[in-house]
Amino acid sequence: MNKPGISIPERGKTLVLVLILLNTVLVAAVSALQVDANIRANQANRDSQYYAVQATGSLIQTGARSEYDLNTYSKWLTDTQEALVAEYSAMQRQAANDQQGFEALTLESQIYQARANQAKSLSVLMTDPAYAPASDQVPPDMDTYTKNLYSYSNELVQKQNDASGAYHRWNNKSDSYVAVLTVLAVAFFLLGIAQMAQPGVRFLFSSFAIVVIGISILWTLILLIF
Amino acid sequence: MEKPKEKNNRLEVWIAVLIALVSLTTALAAWRTASLGSKAGDLIYQGLLDAVKRQATANEDWRTAYEEAGYARDYLITLDGLIVQENSTDPASQEQAAQLRTYLLPGMKSLATPLGTDPSYLTPQGWLSVQKRFDQLEAQSSDLSSLDPLASFSLADTYYAEQRWLVVGTILIAVSLFWLGLSQLSHLRSRILILVLGVIVYGFGLVWSLGVEAVFFILRGGVL
Repeated sequence: MNKPGISIPERGKTLVLVLILLNTVLVAAVSALQVDANIRANQANRDSQYYAVQATGSLIQTGARSEYDLNTYSKWLTDTQEALVAEYSAMQRQAANDQQGFEALTLESQIYQARANQAKSLSVLMTDPAYAPASDQVPPDMDTYTKNLYSYSNELVQKQNDASGAYHRWNNKSDSYVAVLTVLAVAFFLLGIAQMAQPGVRFLFSSFAIVVIGISILWTLILLIF
Repeated sequence: MEKPKEKNNRLEVWIAVLIALVSLTTALAAWRTASLGSKAGDLIYQGLLDAVKRQATANEDWRTAYEEAGYARDYLITLDGLIVQENSTDPASQEQAAQLRTYLLPGMKSLATPLGTDPSYLTPQGWLSVQKRFDQLEAQSSDLSSLDPLASFSLADTYYAEQRWLVVGTILIAVSLFWLGLSQLSHLRSRILILVLGVIVYGFGLVWSLGVEAVFFILRGGVL
């Protein structure tokens, strides 16, 4: 039986209006979420590219530094060996009673030793307590040196990877929100038809719209949680 | 007395005028929202270009600093060997040292300047301060090294923040347009209710959008 004051063609229109209001609120909320996800994706994408530029620069600096450090170490090693060889040869000449040869080679050894001492004082690998060997017979701690050398670059690469991951995550969310909005647009269409249709068909279209709105709400919640 | 049908027709005209006004506002708000995103995108683009330019300059400065450090190291090593030669008692070695000091050392010294010749470039540990030389080179190329990509990114973030808030106002205005359209299609009884709802939502959306614009205009120091 009809309610007093509500004619049959008008029946259910209030329900449709409420559904339209709900759908409108949902569209507004999902639109805001979509814009937010899009902005976050853009920011993460920007960070990712910025870190990539910085990581490249860090690797270039690391390359120049390691080349300098290893060359300095190499010069110390060469001069030390040359000094030892000259010293040993001088002793040999002395044993052979070659005084002139002994003096010349001793001087040569002293020159190489002076060069080696200077190279050692300039070498991070030979004087930094973090890498320096206990004696000149042992090589410096190259593992720690390499680890420290690349630590900042690795840190930047890690940040870049994280930002890149965040970009993909937010971009996918943004795309999914667009899909939810499309589904809600379908609900609008169904409710529009329901509003204009006869009461029997109105309830049918309203039911379809409720199902579609329900799917959209569920989808949005999944996107918000995960 | 006015007949209900005539009253309904007059209301339809007013709703049509309102719809036209709200449509224009929706278009304006949507344009502003999109333009904010565009401005932020432009600033990010500019910031990334600045980051690449600045990093390229830093890369070149590091390369130069380490190249100079290599020259300085070679000069200091050669100099120490030469001093031993000069102090020796062997005249031939002294002569060779004198020749080296005259012909080899000046060239090496000019390449090693300032790292190998200025003691202020030595760290307390006795190493060459490549960092100090790098800072000096950066100061010399200040037109590129002073580029600040983070400032562009920070400004872009304010535009994004404004876009976030303005989109709420734009949605409200768009929603009001929908309600006004619905009131045009509805019958007299529900029409008034829907119309009032639409006008309230529109007013709220408009005030919200103008408020957001004003707040960010002030925050950016008078820049739209």
